[in-house]
Amino acid sequence: MTTHPANQQFDVIVVGAGPAGSAAALLVARAGLKVLLLERGEYPGAKNVSGAVFYGSAILNELIPNWWEQAPVERPVCRRDIAFMSPTTAVALDFRCAGAGFATAPYNGFTVLRPKFDRWLAAQAEAAGAFVLTSAVVDDVLRENGRIVGVRVRREQGEIYGKVVIACDGVNSFLAKKAGLQREFHPHELSLGVKEVLGLDPAIIQDRFHLTDNDGIAYEYLGAITEDVHGGAFLYTNRDSLSLGVIGQVSSLVERRKRPYELLERFKAHPAVAPLVRGGKLREYSAHLIPESGWAMKPKLYTDGMLVAGDAAGFCLAAGLYLEGMNYAMQSGLAAAETAILACQKGNFSARTLSVYQKNLKQRHVSTDFRAYRHAPSFVNGPRLQNLYPEMVAQGMEQIFRVDGAPKRKILPLAYRMVRQSSIKPGQLLRDVYQVARAYLW
Amino acid sequence: MRIAVCLKYVPDPSTIEVDPLTGMIDIGRVLYMMNPADESALELALRLRPPDGTVTVFSVGPIEADRLLQDALAAGADAALRVWDDALGSLKPIVTTTLLAAALRVKALPDLVLCGGHSVDRGSGTVPALLAEHLDWPVVTDVTQFEIQSGRLRARRRLARGARAESEVTLPAILGLETGLVHLRQASLPNLMRVKYTPIPLYGLEELGLSPQDLHFPAMTLHEVMPPRPRARMMFTPDVGGSVQERVAQIMSAGVAGKAGKILESGTPEQQADAIIAFLCQRGFLEQPT
Amino acid sequence: MVMTTHEEKMRTVRFRVGATPHIVVNSEICRNECSVHACVYVCPANLFVPLDDGGILFNYEQCFECGTCYIACNQEGAIRWSYPDGGYGVTFRES
Ligand SMILES: Cc1cc2nc3c(=O)[nH]c(=O)nc-3n(C[C@H](O)[C@H](O)[C@H](O)COP(=O)(O)OP(=O)(O)OC[C@H]3O[C@@H](n4cnc5c(N)ncnc54)[C@H](O)[C@@H]3O)c2cc1C
Ligand code: SF4
Ligand code: SF4
Repeated sequence: MTTHPANQQFDVIVVGAGPAGSAAALLVARAGLKVLLLERGEYPGAKNVSGAVFYGSAILNELIPNWWEQAPVERPVCRRDIAFMSPTTAVALDFRCAGAGFATAPYNGFTVLRPKFDRWLAAQAEAAGAFVLTSAVVDDVLRENGRIVGVRVRREQGEIYGKVVIACDGVNSFLAKKAGLQREFHPHELSLGVKEVLGLDPAIIQDRFHLTDNDGIAYEYLGAITEDVHGGAFLYTNRDSLSLGVIGQVSSLVERRKRPYELLERFKAHPAVAPLVRGGKLREYSAHLIPESGWAMKPKLYTDGMLVAGDAAGFCLAAGLYLEGMNYAMQSGLAAAETAILACQKGNFSARTLSVYQKNLKQRHVSTDFRAYRHAPSFVNGPRLQNLYPEMVAQGMEQIFRVDGAPKRKILPLAYRMVRQSSIKPGQLLRDVYQVARAYLW
Repeated sequence: MRIAVCLKYVPDPSTIEVDPLTGMIDIGRVLYMMNPADESALELALRLRPPDGTVTVFSVGPIEADRLLQDALAAGADAALRVWDDALGSLKPIVTTTLLAAALRVKALPDLVLCGGHSVDRGSGTVPALLAEHLDWPVVTDVTQFEIQSGRLRARRRLARGARAESEVTLPAILGLETGLVHLRQASLPNLMRVKYTPIPLYGLEELGLSPQDLHFPAMTLHEVMPPRPRARMMFTPDVGGSVQERVAQIMSAGVAGKAGKILESGTPEQQADAIIAFLCQRGFLEQPT
Repeated sequence: MVMTTHEEKMRTVRFRVGATPHIVVNSEICRNECSVHACVYVCPANLFVPLDDGGILFNYEQCFECGTCYIACNQEGAIRWSYPDGGYGVTFRES
């Protein structure tokens, strides 16, 4: 490798200061290596959007004990709701847990606001010794003799060299594409999330959502909420605001000719949602893509001199019950950092050395989780789970509860009749039951 | 040639949200930036700087303003200096300019001071003029273009209603520049990295040789900021004393003729200023000096 | 203020507009080769305005840099897409 001016040569260059990048930079810096964290935003988090429930509390706790005491967190999530919607009704599963690990340390998850959270996390990496440079957009990788030796920042004299590059540049992952590790995506592999933050008095939030003190709740919605667009919706409580949004598969938005922000308005107007958001004052509107297809859009994860982590590697579990990306971003960022540290110790940055990354991902349960849930995305985005079943559940409940003088029917015959009346064939139903089981049970 | 540029750390107006009920600004949501007019002033200074010249940037502001001075260094300024003192409360233009003048003197006075004419937060537009008063230098405001030839500076100014004027002054001088003339250049990567951890020298009152009394000016309190209100439309009624022709002429000109001003052409600047003050007193805009 | 128009939504977002456009649409291709006009529907900032002649009017200033238009567009070369210069573009404060 040719030598470069000392201040332009790093051990590790991390691109993107989201949870993946900042966690990676933090770990590399703690190992005493020279690490540069490049971020295109005015500050880390300026470009980033999540729901956001951060389910990586335990992971971060290993790096920064009692991190929630100093980080900008909103509320620990102690209740989770899954709601199945028809246009006028909703059936919800409500999970409450005041027990160990949910409302107490290390907590299961926290709602966060990304611009604040990401900024804090990057500052932790900086405090550990990482060089954090904002307002720096990376356009390309640099190669020498076929291997990646650095990146090009879109500024004069923008070439900068590092022994390992870790691409944590998020869902659009231009870097992985430039390195030839990722292909172009199809519109059915990505979903667009549009989101609003609505300001609301903390006392009203506690009353309205039956929350004790600072506890928080996370709602996920399936079914008619997105009309016939494949997707879902969410509503989370922050300290003095609500975060809510609608997620829609890009291809199905195109097919149905639906504008995402109009879906968002319909969501807020749904009779099950309207009372929850009443009186909220719009503070911010935002939009971002989600890599929905998980395992199916995983790039080649490493090459000579480079690793890919986080959303850029498709490590985002967005499948009905789950909307988890930040925790996997962090886990994969850490796995990449461990790999880069090892390579620096060995002084060897070939793809072969970096292939340890796969083992590290397994150890951190990233690849195992994604392999396990590899069937979930395509099933969740299938038309029946998207629209038919949630609506059937919701309507079925309506019939069970309706008192109109007609004879009461027991639940099984009722369900049988509803299936008969719908367009679902019994064989299909059985296959779907099998698929749900395969996607989520084993 | 040595050029000084004054930079102000201002809230981005698009992030200022006033609660309609309480009238309070949501401070947590405000983002700050370099005042756009100052940004063009800096870019012009960098373009103007001859090979042996220097550009020094000054800012009166809290520690957060360091970022803006670092940005200026990254873009190519030679030196930066921040003025702040915990004793300072809210900054009136007269206080800011007293501090700036002192800071300029600390660094040995430059040949040219460039300021953005207006800041997006207060926008009183008085800083260049007040600074000129402190230094006893000539000042040209509302400048859109300028050039320097053998110690003389020719500036083109934009006046009200699209009028333009050209002025000439000798250096040293102060210019107040219009907003949005040019964009500040993107810093190179090495420069951006170099300034990231560059400490910015801080000057407090003591270092500037000032005492709190020097900053004591008659109090002015801001009571309320009112949103612009459309002016009530008034039908023009001609002067009943005039002849028919005169009245018709007045109606035809929609009353423009009625707004006649007075142009002061004769006298020294001091005499002209006295005339303006006398006029304002007469009309009740100023109190009679006792 | 719970139900809001798109304009009201956009007014809550802060943009620092760069000097050069980061996304360029080749309206010629939109006019002659595209019948879907997917970008018009999917863009969360509603930046693609269909013209009478089948072309597209695009303004880059209020873009979220999400990439949806690039993914949704079915015509090779119609959209030249990149991120704005460092420090410019959208800045979220609370999302
Ligand atoms: C609407 C929505 C709701 C979500 N809800 C949740 C949730 O509740 N919980 C959860 O865990 N996950 C959620 N996710 C998923 C989660 O946001 C992502 O999985 C996570 O942010 C991925 O982290 P990352 O670090 O890989 O990428 P990102 O967070 O996207 O970070 C990438 C960083 O790289 C920077 N960057 C990109 N390109 C360049 C470049 N060329 N040069 C320099 N910098 C660059 C970006 O500015 C950014 O800071 C949600 C996503 C969306 C869109
Ligand atoms: S989808 Fe692509 S080709 Fe079609 S109108 Fe939009 S930008 Fe043009
Ligand atoms: S990147 Fe997103 S916000 Fe920007 S134009 Fe494309 S779809 Fe619209």
